[in-house]
Amino acid sequence: MTKYVIRRIFSGLLTALIVFTLNFIIIKAAPGDPIKTLMGKDTNDPVLRAALEEKWGLNEPEYVQYFNYLTNALRGDLGTSIIYNQSVASMIGSRWGPTVLLGLVAAILALLIGTFLGIFAAQHEGGIMDGLFSMVSYALDAMPPFWLGLMLMIVFASRLGWLPTNGMTDVRAGYTGFAYVLDVARHMVLPCLTLTLVSIPGYFRIAKSSVLQVSNEDFITTLRATGMSERKIFDKYIFRNAILPTITLFGITMAFLITGITLIEIVFSWPGMGRLTMTAINQRDYPALMGIYLVVAICVSVVMIIVDIVYALFDPRIRYD
Amino acid sequence: METVLEVKDLCVTYQNKSRSVYAVKDVSFSINQGDSLGIVGESGSGKSTLAMAILRLLPPKTAKVTGEAYFQGKELLTLDDASLREIRWKHLAVVFQKAMNALSPVHRISTQIEDIYRQHEPKATRQEIRQRSQELFQMVGLPDRVYRLYPHEMSGGMLQRVAIAISLLHSPQLLIFDEATTALDVVTQGQILEEVVRLEKALNTTRIMITHDMSVVSASCTKTAVMYAGQMMEIGQTRDVLKRPMHPYTQGLLHSFPTLTGERKTLESIPGSLPDLSVEHAGCVFAPRCPFATDRCHAKRPAARQMEDGRTVACWRYGGESDG
Repeated sequence: MTKYVIRRIFSGLLTALIVFTLNFIIIKAAPGDPIKTLMGKDTNDPVLRAALEEKWGLNEPEYVQYFNYLTNALRGDLGTSIIYNQSVASMIGSRWGPTVLLGLVAAILALLIGTFLGIFAAQHEGGIMDGLFSMVSYALDAMPPFWLGLMLMIVFASRLGWLPTNGMTDVRAGYTGFAYVLDVARHMVLPCLTLTLVSIPGYFRIAKSSVLQVSNEDFITTLRATGMSERKIFDKYIFRNAILPTITLFGITMAFLITGITLIEIVFSWPGMGRLTMTAINQRDYPALMGIYLVVAICVSVVMIIVDIVYALFDPRIRYD
Repeated sequence: METVLEVKDLCVTYQNKSRSVYAVKDVSFSINQGDSLGIVGESGSGKSTLAMAILRLLPPKTAKVTGEAYFQGKELLTLDDASLREIRWKHLAVVFQKAMNALSPVHRISTQIEDIYRQHEPKATRQEIRQRSQELFQMVGLPDRVYRLYPHEMSGGMLQRVAIAISLLHSPQLLIFDEATTALDVVTQGQILEEVVRLEKALNTTRIMITHDMSVVSASCTKTAVMYAGQMMEIGQTRDVLKRPMHPYTQGLLHSFPTLTGERKTLESIPGSLPDLSVEHAGCVFAPRCPFATDRCHAKRPAARQMEDGRTVACWRYGGESDG
């Protein structure tokens, strides 16, 4: 197991390094000359060009530039945003928290609710509740997340006025302590609900189908033949076997949430990485984009490592050592 | 000799909204203590369904079971859940075909054995269970270390032995092998059958062996029952049934197996295929494929008749006249 964990962490690091390298190559290959941009369209003074290249390190050969970038990144320096003239690391630093908060809460809620309903539907297969849940699950699956977000906003924020429409805090109130936590929670309800609702169908279906599948396995019949109670068979044997695909799905969903949360953040003006990414793309802010991609790639690798380790804890067949 | 299991007029009908499939029809037989009964038949002849019905493992929603099955005087089919669970595994155990799937892949063998053992001995300590397992592992020829392994760390043959060892945990009176050795190669199968017969003598257990392999029956069973399309064609002592088959179906079945010692001859298959089990047949169910079929065979189902040597045959060729 230890060997497996070490190997898995190592492969995660390798993934991050590959992403880092690809990032560098893509930006280098992109059209346009940053020095030209800095000098202005009409200036073409070789002395100025040389001075600027010297200043930004662009006179060095490419591999030296790559290693400079790498050593800087390892020290936590991801460069400076062209548009905001701020350090990219600090821009990301203030934005990743809200995204992770929103994404993680939604993912965990969807996991719990979807899996619970899926198991319930499987145990009452063919019943009224099973039919109802399946129908709702298909309906939710068919809804575009941003549209669902807007609808919820219209109903619960605009019409009923129960919840705020956007942002993460009430900037005018300036809450502190517990009041601040409550305020964030209130702001989080709608975006979180939207993300949870659109993620539930996946968990619902995977839980339902894998419970049904495992229930028909020969070893379950054998356990029944041993006189074991249905409850014990389910709690210990069906559940443990049926939960495996859910763990995999959780990993995939987490990776998707970290990157795909963008639209929801825009709909609800949530101050997270999604909006930062969107702005950086619109303004061609290359250093910011490189930084964001790197951080996202590392986040996804970390989540994948954690999911893989959890999976290996549940399934001995994975721990090939 | 004491009768361990007596089955009377057992019928199993699989039902869904649009149709019914008569998988097992009016099957009766009994088995005495220490006997081993091999039930043979083609795929789809209802032999596994029969076993599952006796074990009460068929899904109640889709399978309708009627008839009676007395096990040690208790009627299994109408027994309440609590009493049934009391009998299960302690007196009546089963080994299934696919040993690879017979154990949970994510639990250690030890965990599963402990759970199964504690079903009837809730206070048993780990050491006790471990010791009992070691004894059984030794009997079926498994090394000690298997106890700590996961199923995926073992070969098919080892898993089959584990499944057999687990079935013997409480020394049940009746053991049902549902194609338990079918997935194994002939060498391993031979070894396991030998062990099974040896264990049986030592523990005085009774066994039902469900298989489509005649060699398994001839090697390990004292009695043989031949099933076709959900019905019993012939039951008797293995040596009688295999040496001098009476029912045309048994004869056909035996003609399609080669012998090692006999003269060289062309193997014959039985023409035709299994009848549609979703319609009820008025006559003998084998009549459409039977070379000796007469008008009477097509019109009326023959009753099971007892022969001089003790076997039972359901065929008009053997004294069906008096049945009217």
